[in-house]
Amino acid sequence: MVLAVQERKLRGAKKRGGVLNLRQIKIFHKIIAANLANILLIVVTGFLAYHSLETVLTKLKFMEIADSMGSDFLEMRLAEKNFFLYGEKAALSEIESKINATKKTIKRSRPDIVRAIGDPKTTGLESDLDNYSRTLKKARIGDTGAQAKVRAAGHKLMDFIIYNTSYERAEVHNILAGSAKGLFLSFVLILFTAVGVTLLLSVRVLGSLKRIEKAAHLISGGEFEKIEPESSMDECGIAVSALRSMAGELRNREEQMLEARKLASIGILIAGVSHEIGNPLNNISMLAQNFVELYDRMDREEHIEYVKKIEDETERIQRIVKDLLDFARPKKPDFKETDINGVIDKSMRLVQNMMSVCNIDSRLELEEPLPTVYIDEHQIQGVLVNLITNSIHASSPGDRLRVATRLNPDSDRVEIEVEDTGKGMAPEVLPHIFDPFFTTKGASGTGLGLFVSYGIIKNHKGEMRARSEVGTGTCFTIELPVHSRLERSEQCLVSGS
Amino acid sequence: MPGFRVIVIDDEKIVGQMIKVALEPDGYLVETFLNAEPAFARLRAEKFDIVITDLKMKGMDGMDVLRTIKTAYPEIKVIMVTAFASLDSAVEAMKSKVDGFFAKPVKIKELKECILKLLTPAEPGSA
Repeated sequence: MVLAVQERKLRGAKKRGGVLNLRQIKIFHKIIAANLANILLIVVTGFLAYHSLETVLTKLKFMEIADSMGSDFLEMRLAEKNFFLYGEKAALSEIESKINATKKTIKRSRPDIVRAIGDPKTTGLESDLDNYSRTLKKARIGDTGAQAKVRAAGHKLMDFIIYNTSYERAEVHNILAGSAKGLFLSFVLILFTAVGVTLLLSVRVLGSLKRIEKAAHLISGGEFEKIEPESSMDECGIAVSALRSMAGELRNREEQMLEARKLASIGILIAGVSHEIGNPLNNISMLAQNFVELYDRMDREEHIEYVKKIEDETERIQRIVKDLLDFARPKKPDFKETDINGVIDKSMRLVQNMMSVCNIDSRLELEEPLPTVYIDEHQIQGVLVNLITNSIHASSPGDRLRVATRLNPDSDRVEIEVEDTGKGMAPEVLPHIFDPFFTTKGASGTGLGLFVSYGIIKNHKGEMRARSEVGTGTCFTIELPVHSRLERSEQCLVSGS
Repeated sequence: MPGFRVIVIDDEKIVGQMIKVALEPDGYLVETFLNAEPAFARLRAEKFDIVITDLKMKGMDGMDVLRTIKTAYPEIKVIMVTAFASLDSAVEAMKSKVDGFFAKPVKIKELKECILKLLTPAEPGSA
């Protein structure tokens, strides 16, 4: 019930939050998102690299065309010189054919040239070429002014080629250097994203798996309430929540089973009560019948003996009823943080006289320091006195009794052992020692001591077991859980509710 | 009924003592036992007429005693007494041919009458 309430509170808090919380995103979606991010990065990088390559190729093509035009311009300038210096008429037609060839080249490769240097520059080149052609046609040998104009137009063409070729070369260098940097940056980014996401997922998944493992261990130990509520809503979080809910269900079933067992023990108890009280009642009845019938034939001593026996049998019934009432109406346990070694010392003091009378040697082996346990001191003292008394009854003068405590670090429980070197119990007896009304003491025992003790230890979330060998002795072991402060407050809350 | 020999088996010591005290003035010879094993040792050694046994005992219980006697010594009468009388146990005892069945507390007078009836030979012609 408490688990369910915590779960609801948690969900409510999540709903109220409203802000996207990474812990609420499923691992599947996280993997998809991380992969998409990486694919996007690769696509963008690839696109940019392709674009850079295309630009470089265009510029290289332009440089090729420019180189070719540059050669043509050089030849034109040479022919121009021959014309002006030597008056070679053939030089003019040679220049004309070079101009036409260059114009054809520009026309054929215009898109590539435009892509490389832009439309205005291309148009400018065409215009410069036309200007050169026109200036040349007007020029006459000996006309120095016209010659200067032709030379200036020729220079302009050569400058255009030299300037643009070196400019585009520098551009290609810049693009290649930029691409190298860009590619390196993209590589680092992709690597960082991939490693980052992998690490994040590993930590998250491993963390969740550890929580699942912890939850499974707690379930196997029956400590259902210790499973922490899961705030994450990814697959692992859902698995932990499912385990938690399963633990709650298991606890409910366990409680139902305990209830069923309790009902079954009540059935056994009623049968036992009928038999155990029936026998002393029959004894009283028979004693009374014979007392009346044989009164006259008996002397005073015999009369007293009869009445004494009747009294003994009524006391026997009284003992059974008292133990039954203790079982049926247990006092509300008063749990407190307690040093178990102190409780053992007190219990030993109570039985010291009995042990001296019976000539039993006792030895205490108490581990110091021990963590405190959260117990009802009087109930546990009752259990210990019951076990020690049983040991004394099963022992002969000279036998030994050992009471030991130790911390079991694996189970985080304090273990108490009460061991004797008495007559021991037969293997067929051992499975019944915690049954109600089972006794090996005959009429002097009620058979409820161990039954009640077992119930008390179970109520402390502890364990109680026995091992025994005929002729060697018996050892009872009690395990009590060590409680943390938090658990104690939970227990107080539960016992108070 | 002088000379008739009776065995009482009951883990309650007082039961044996009280039956012995009640029957011996009438001439019965009564031996009491707290469990079945020594009683069978006596049955093997000497002849007895009637066995009164408790039903619920440690070791061999009353039902085992009844069946063993009815198999090995069919002439011996068996009376069963129990503090935990149930219809099932009574029916089971009847099936095993018990001669008398008493729920505790036992009325000694009724027990004596039952013993007397069991040990009195049936008159010819009577049912």
